[in-house]
Amino acid sequence: MYILAIETTGKYGTAAVIGDDGCIYSASSETEMNHLRDIISISDEAIRKAGISKQDLTHIAASKGPGSFTGIRIGVTTARTLAQILGIPCIAVSSLEAMAERVMDAACDAGASYVVPIINARRHQVYAGIWELIRSEDSARCTLRPAGEERQYMIEELLDELKSRQQNDMQKDGVLTVYFTGDGIDAYDDIIHDALPKGSYFEAAEEIRYQHAENVAEAAYHKAECGRTVSYNELLPEYMRLAEAEQRLKAGTLSEKIKKAGGLL
Amino acid sequence: MKNGKHISLGIETSCDETAAAVVADGREILSNIINSQISIHTRFGGVVPEIASRRHLENINDVIGAALEEAGVTINDVDLAGVTYGPGLVGALLIGVAAAKSIAYAADIPLIGVNHMHGHIAANYLEHPELEPPFMSLVVSGGHTEIVNVPEYNRCEKIGGTRDDAAGEAFDKVARVIGLGYPGGPKVDRAAKEGDRDAIAFKRVWLEPGSYDFSFSGLKTQALNYLNSERQAGREIRVNDVAASFQEAIVEVISTKAVNAALEFGQKRIVMAGGVASNSRLRELISQKAAVHDIEVLRPSPLLCTDNGAMIASAAYYAYMAGERSGFDLDAVPALEFK
Repeated sequence: MYILAIETTGKYGTAAVIGDDGCIYSASSETEMNHLRDIISISDEAIRKAGISKQDLTHIAASKGPGSFTGIRIGVTTARTLAQILGIPCIAVSSLEAMAERVMDAACDAGASYVVPIINARRHQVYAGIWELIRSEDSARCTLRPAGEERQYMIEELLDELKSRQQNDMQKDGVLTVYFTGDGIDAYDDIIHDALPKGSYFEAAEEIRYQHAENVAEAAYHKAECGRTVSYNELLPEYMRLAEAEQRLKAGTLSEKIKKAGGLL
Repeated sequence: MKNGKHISLGIETSCDETAAAVVADGREILSNIINSQISIHTRFGGVVPEIASRRHLENINDVIGAALEEAGVTINDVDLAGVTYGPGLVGALLIGVAAAKSIAYAADIPLIGVNHMHGHIAANYLEHPELEPPFMSLVVSGGHTEIVNVPEYNRCEKIGGTRDDAAGEAFDKVARVIGLGYPGGPKVDRAAKEGDRDAIAFKRVWLEPGSYDFSFSGLKTQALNYLNSERQAGREIRVNDVAASFQEAIVEVISTKAVNAALEFGQKRIVMAGGVASNSRLRELISQKAAVHDIEVLRPSPLLCTDNGAMIASAAYYAYMAGERSGFDLDAVPALEFK
């Protein structure tokens, strides 16, 4: 099994190949938001580093979002089309899940109870998910268990939710710490600082804070082992948000002029 | 190659059609699949870019698959992947570009980025098997109104263009204000057939003498002013007359300038392209004016006037024959110029 994983939902596009030996070979874009220009060259670089040819690939995995809409579309379209032409299945991976995996060991070492990836969705919004760190008996190793819906939150709403979990837990054994990761830290550091008690949270170091295809590849490998693959036309983006015009249509606030022109009135 | 013929795959996603086609030797359409989003965008009164991008992604691979299947070829028969990389909506373009790159990479075939406007002109190579450059081309669509001299395959020299609104855009805008809705072009065309084109004296905007440029934004203002004054005077608005008079003001200027350009450059043919080339009054008037000077007017059938993959496959084929190749770093260029 050789999986090519593509991650273009953040600032820098990355690609990685994982094989049955668990080794991961990756390549990264050197320019911000250069996904469309770089996607094939970084994929090819990862494939070459792995010492295989593209015909040896057995699956194409993509980070399906949430994240940059444009980035999601470039990654998902590329993954779908490569899979279609090579005649192999796809694997969809949540960008948040892969980000949680990226910091799992660091969060475990820090003694955190929860991992919370937050992606900046502007205007006080984040795309986020909550994972609980489950410790091995000797506390040396951790695994992740989903502990909250992956969705769009107001940052304040997410912090309230985490605070109430902390307070509930305080009554039990007194320590519950949150490990944040993702570019939501860069955007909302002040708000987090004001909302949560000092010492009750950690922020991932920049080296492991952002999306990376290595973790998409790892997550994809587990899914492939469990047979959780899809055909290329079933690989769909996870935007976590309707287009603005669709939101307005749903809310009934599409302007009268447009409704009239569109024949709705 | 299939049966000794060169096989081009063309992909087009610059606006609201997700399209892919297979063309043999740059001329013969083996398949031409067009998935139109018009019904989706109609309820918003126009193309919503974010929604267009989303639908392109959901449709693109099925459209490509259908194009190959209907053509009776497999990806191994395909010799090049051509794709529109501009001009157009950036979020829409990038779906086609990402798909075409992936095909070229996975199938080890050349990638050819195509200017959408070259594609519209190439639609005529599919429609008219005998047509070869040189000729004068008139490209009129929702985003373009351009007069282009075509001295040889894959070469376009723009000699005039709009300074503000494109003809199709002007149609859309006036259709909206007189309540005809989107898409404006065909609706104005239809209403105009029932109207009097001399009813309202809309201004013909010729610009400075000898110019092949256009300006249509003033016409929209004039139409709005006319409607307001009629309403204030309590007179009934005759939609068909407004449509016919407005349309006449646009097509008279376009057809006159196109014929003048052909005369000045010594071209014996005017080749029409783009969605507005389907406008019945434009076709009628330009044919009349050209006939006086013994100039032949050619145009693609309505299906090939709309955005489609076959025209991109044909343009890609001629670009390939001229030695052009795109790298895997091909980008989407929303404001790509004619060249």
